[in-house]
Amino acid sequence: MNIRVYILRRIALIIPTLIGLSVLTFSIARIVPGDPVGLAAGPRATEEIKEALRREFGFDQPLPIQYVSYMAGLFRGDWGESLYTRRKVVSELRAFWPATLELTTAAVIIATLLGVPAGVISAMYRNRLPDHVARVLSLFFVSFPSFWLAMIFQTWFGRDLGLFPIGKRLPVLVSPPAPTTGLFLIDSLVQLDFETFLVSLRHLFIPALVLSFGAFASITRITRASMVEALEKDFVRMERAIGIPYRVIIFKYVLRNALIATITVISLNFGWLMAGAILIETIFDWPGLGLYAVHASLSLDFQPIMGIAILYGVVFSVVNILTDIVYGILDPRIRYG
Amino acid sequence: MSELLDIDDLHLEFDTYDGVVKVLAGVNLKMRRGDVLGLVGETGCGKSMTALSVPRLIPMPPGRITAGRVTFDGEDILSKSESEMETFRARHVGMIFQDPVTNLNPLFTIREQLVDAVLYQRQGGQKTPGRWRGFLPSVKQMRKEAHERAVELIRLTGIPDGDKRIYDYPHQFSGGMRQRVLIAMALAGDPDLLIADEPTTALDVTIQAQILRLIRSLVAQLGLTVLLITHNLGVVARSCERVAVMYAGRVVEDSPVRDLFHNPKHPYTRGLMAAVPQKDVNRGGLHGIPGIIPNLINPPPGCRFNPRCEHVMGICRESVPPAIEVGAQHSASCFLYGQDA
Repeated sequence: MNIRVYILRRIALIIPTLIGLSVLTFSIARIVPGDPVGLAAGPRATEEIKEALRREFGFDQPLPIQYVSYMAGLFRGDWGESLYTRRKVVSELRAFWPATLELTTAAVIIATLLGVPAGVISAMYRNRLPDHVARVLSLFFVSFPSFWLAMIFQTWFGRDLGLFPIGKRLPVLVSPPAPTTGLFLIDSLVQLDFETFLVSLRHLFIPALVLSFGAFASITRITRASMVEALEKDFVRMERAIGIPYRVIIFKYVLRNALIATITVISLNFGWLMAGAILIETIFDWPGLGLYAVHASLSLDFQPIMGIAILYGVVFSVVNILTDIVYGILDPRIRYG
Repeated sequence: MSELLDIDDLHLEFDTYDGVVKVLAGVNLKMRRGDVLGLVGETGCGKSMTALSVPRLIPMPPGRITAGRVTFDGEDILSKSESEMETFRARHVGMIFQDPVTNLNPLFTIREQLVDAVLYQRQGGQKTPGRWRGFLPSVKQMRKEAHERAVELIRLTGIPDGDKRIYDYPHQFSGGMRQRVLIAMALAGDPDLLIADEPTTALDVTIQAQILRLIRSLVAQLGLTVLLITHNLGVVARSCERVAVMYAGRVVEDSPVRDLFHNPKHPYTRGLMAAVPQKDVNRGGLHGIPGIIPNLINPPPGCRFNPRCEHVMGICRESVPPAIEVGAQHSASCFLYGQDA
């Protein structure tokens, strides 16, 4: 099978996934006990006012019809509006989502850049000092709750040493770059505004670092384990026997075998970090989707819940496709299988 | 003529949870350039460990060489540093293994692996310019030559449509074809010695015959020196000129092939020969050597074969028999042929 066909097949698989996700989220959000209209309208609203609100949001229709009309709106770009803020869900997602995406992506990149080499070194020096250091470090970081580390880092690097800002994406007096993607780093680079780039990088660094710790630990461990496994393979002995230098064997031939497991863990971590970013966002006053999502769920604010679920679903699917494509590039047996 | 390979009184031990396993207890083996030597013996007798000691691929720890020397073309192998060994392996030794399925890296094309084999063997295991520098004319030329050599090698080993199939991945090849690829990789830099560790054991019988024929024709074409490890006496009879029989970590008999088959001297070799079923002779079932191979943590003192030997004498339990000349280029380590060397 050609790699293009392989990718197309993976993309086609998103559609049923997203339909399933939307049906599930829709049902759960509408079936849970509680009266969103009652919550939104307040304790002193009359039955007529509630009825009017219900009609306005279409809650008086049967569920299947509500679903169909919701999905139809989704494709038109109308994701509904919040019962509370009365603002369009689309514009709220557009405002909050890039901050979370930037934070999460940065954390995954940091975790990968630190975790893969740490895992490789661990495996190369198995049961020797570098291995012990890497293992203790990863155990250390995965054992501390991230919100606690976040506060420690904030205190040390932000307050005591003054190296990094203690929160927010940019200082109050710096205006954000014109939004193309909403990711400050990319937007400022596109506009060649290096000053804003550096400032937002400094704001991003500590939150992303703290968020990356859990992922760093799991990436290190899986890389070490799969490197150790791959190093035991017969072909390693063969490659040594015919005179390929050990260095080349490790970094070219063995690493590629080990990376397949690592890629899986990286993509899973991306999902976990997106969901787990809320604690970090709260501590660093990071205007991301986390707080918005929690608030919407607690108040049964139906349209934002749906919007967030669909958005996360799409992001997960995209990450999954990328993972599958990387698998296919790394391992010909998957590509042709 | 001086020896290409001289393994002298090699002792190898492995640390295990049960105790120290004395895997090799004084192996002596000499090979001259152009020799095709068969190394036979039962599973666990130390054939592979003897062979792996030449490119020094025995995992240490848990392995430990406690005595002996390995000399290759006048150079002492055991005193080399690891980076000198990388150069040594690249320049002088090629090795093929038992299972062609697990011995090729599944994620790289045959071309990638073969070109690397050519490049590193030519560079003596030293750094070669990476593919990312392929825009440099010298690097481009180097890689082009390596590619041409790879295609030549793959033709040499008899893979049909080699120049096209070189772009395929290992899983697109059959077991026999993969073994041919591995032979091509081992030969990439014209090694002085090819070590073949049970190269046909994992293959079908018909494919076994093809691979043996290939090795024989390569020997004839390239004048290779081959150390062929096998537990199959038939393979030895068809492919080798000389044969060394190992038992429990020692070479017990070393002889030209015809001599060994017609006139085996060591009681163990005789037992092996008697155990080979013959189609014309009805000996009333299959014969074996009584007893079992000894536990190498507590091997029997003296000759390690003494508990199973029908000619056992007092001295066999006390001292190790030296190799005794019993014919032209034929020696056996047994006190039946004299008390001293």
